Amino acid sequence: MQRTLRLMEEGGKHLLLVAIALVTLIPILWMLVTSVKAPQEVFSGHLFWAAHFNLDGYLRVFRDIPFALWAWNSSFIAALQTLGQLVVGLAAAFAFAHYRFPGRDALFFFVLMTMMIPPQVTMVPVYMIVNEMHLLNTFGGVIVPHLASGYAIFLLRQTFMTIPRELGDAAVIDGCTAFGTMWHVYLRLSGTVMSALAVILFVGNWNDYHWPLLVLAEKSMQTLPVAFVQFREEESLEWVPTMAVATLSMLPILALYLAAQKQFIEGFMNSGLKG
Amino acid sequence: MVILNRLDGEQNEAVSAMNERGKAGTRRRRRGKLKKLWIPLAFLLPALGLYAVFFVYPFLFSLSLSFQKWNLISPDKEFVGLANYIHLLHDDVFWISLRNSALYVLMTVPLAVGIGLAMALLVESMWKGKRLYRLVFFLPVVSSIGVISIVWGLMYNPQVGAVNALLASFGIQGPNWINDPAMALWALAIVGIWKGFGYNMVLYISGLKSIDRSLYEAAAIDGAGRRGQFRHVTLPLLSPVTFFILVMSIISSFQVFATIQIITRGGPNNSTNVLVYQIYQEAFQFFNIGAAAASSTLLLVIVGTLTIVQLRLSQKMVHYQ
Repeated sequence: MQRTLRLMEEGGKHLLLVAIALVTLIPILWMLVTSVKAPQEVFSGHLFWAAHFNLDGYLRVFRDIPFALWAWNSSFIAALQTLGQLVVGLAAAFAFAHYRFPGRDALFFFVLMTMMIPPQVTMVPVYMIVNEMHLLNTFGGVIVPHLASGYAIFLLRQTFMTIPRELGDAAVIDGCTAFGTMWHVYLRLSGTVMSALAVILFVGNWNDYHWPLLVLAEKSMQTLPVAFVQFREEESLEWVPTMAVATLSMLPILALYLAAQKQFIEGFMNSGLKG
Repeated sequence: MVILNRLDGEQNEAVSAMNERGKAGTRRRRRGKLKKLWIPLAFLLPALGLYAVFFVYPFLFSLSLSFQKWNLISPDKEFVGLANYIHLLHDDVFWISLRNSALYVLMTVPLAVGIGLAMALLVESMWKGKRLYRLVFFLPVVSSIGVISIVWGLMYNPQVGAVNALLASFGIQGPNWINDPAMALWALAIVGIWKGFGYNMVLYISGLKSIDRSLYEAAAIDGAGRRGQFRHVTLPLLSPVTFFILVMSIISSFQVFATIQIITRGGPNNSTNVLVYQIYQEAFQFFNIGAAAASSTLLLVIVGTLTIVQLRLSQKMVHYQ
């Protein structure tokens, strides 16, 4: 009796969760379905069913829209930025975790504080500095100002704090240089966190909108979201190809998310709470 | 805050360790330490250099710009004292955008946090399917805000968008959403909630997992039912997570930009113009750099004050295990 009751409760909760999941997925499902509709179907047909399935939207993307270029720009910027953030973060987190020095905690507090301050507060001057450096309309202009990631430093430092100090000290006694200690002890032992962090940073960088919008005015240099928004407005792109571009833009990140979902969600779980 | 408390603990530890060493310390050893200081600093140098150039300096620069009149292009800047601030205080658009920012925070944060908590509790209580549900609810978090804003913009089309078409199938006539000044901010808030609740859910799940099972058993022995356990065990022990989530959600809701720039451009009639979008307009559309800088300073003051108030409150409200 008790068991039946619990099973019924579980079943009811599944129904509820499936309903909420469907509501959550509406924008994505609608985008997918609309992208394969025939143009005349968009405004009259069924909301989530393409009766005249066709791929004209996608054909137009590859024929008329420099999608590959946008995707390349986005990938290149996101990859390079992620790599830089990992290197800078690794070094800083190692210093914070392995050494004791005056002002260490104050500096770490400063790093936390940088995460609290809205980036828009410093955006105008950073734009001017990038301009002075002749980095406007370059990938460097997008990447360099964000290489010091408070999130990366924080997450790695928290992870490194869980590595027993003795391991680091032992490496030093065995004749390891400081760099070697960082490389062979700390980096080796935090592979999972590193890969989770890499995925999280990459997705964040790929999705970034505000800053690339300011730096990249030249069309051939723009990242996917920025270029897409402008292109759609200037060409008054119809709904079907718009949804096709939107779907294609989501695909790489979606694939990455599904492939690395475990590291991804666990990485987020670790942020701010553990340690 | 979890992080800050932890820091305090470590600091005490570090201080006592230093005192101990100080007693036995000789001059030579101290000189050795100074030499050693260079090693951690070398590792910190890239991060600190970047922060100096792209955070501290711009920060001070922005402050000084807020007392100047400048149009981004001309070589001359003119010192105007508090004129930019006074201009802002007399600018209707500034006040509207400030009000809209506050409204947007009030619309999104409670719902995104509440739904996040409810979903965490619901998903974690399941025997099967936890991972799948988590995956689905987290999906909006990883979607590109630029791309998804375009999709949502079309969703809100009053005649043929998915939102009103769905409402119509339930016999409800939907509002004009982004064309209606009374609904436009809600339309954007819904996107914000949709994109944000999964993140809160994941943080809450990790909070739930860290609660010691034996506390529930103890509460049950003391005669607490499911509801009592929730009120007296789960909620208090989730308060550090809740606090962290609140601080982060408020800060990020104040930063909302992409949905506004893409879906409504601050309209109709400034009804979705928020502080950050107003800064963007002042700087990159009206080239009124001084006013933008002054507005940035005020944004910082507001977010800073809110964070400090929350820190204070948390000392009374947050319970640690």
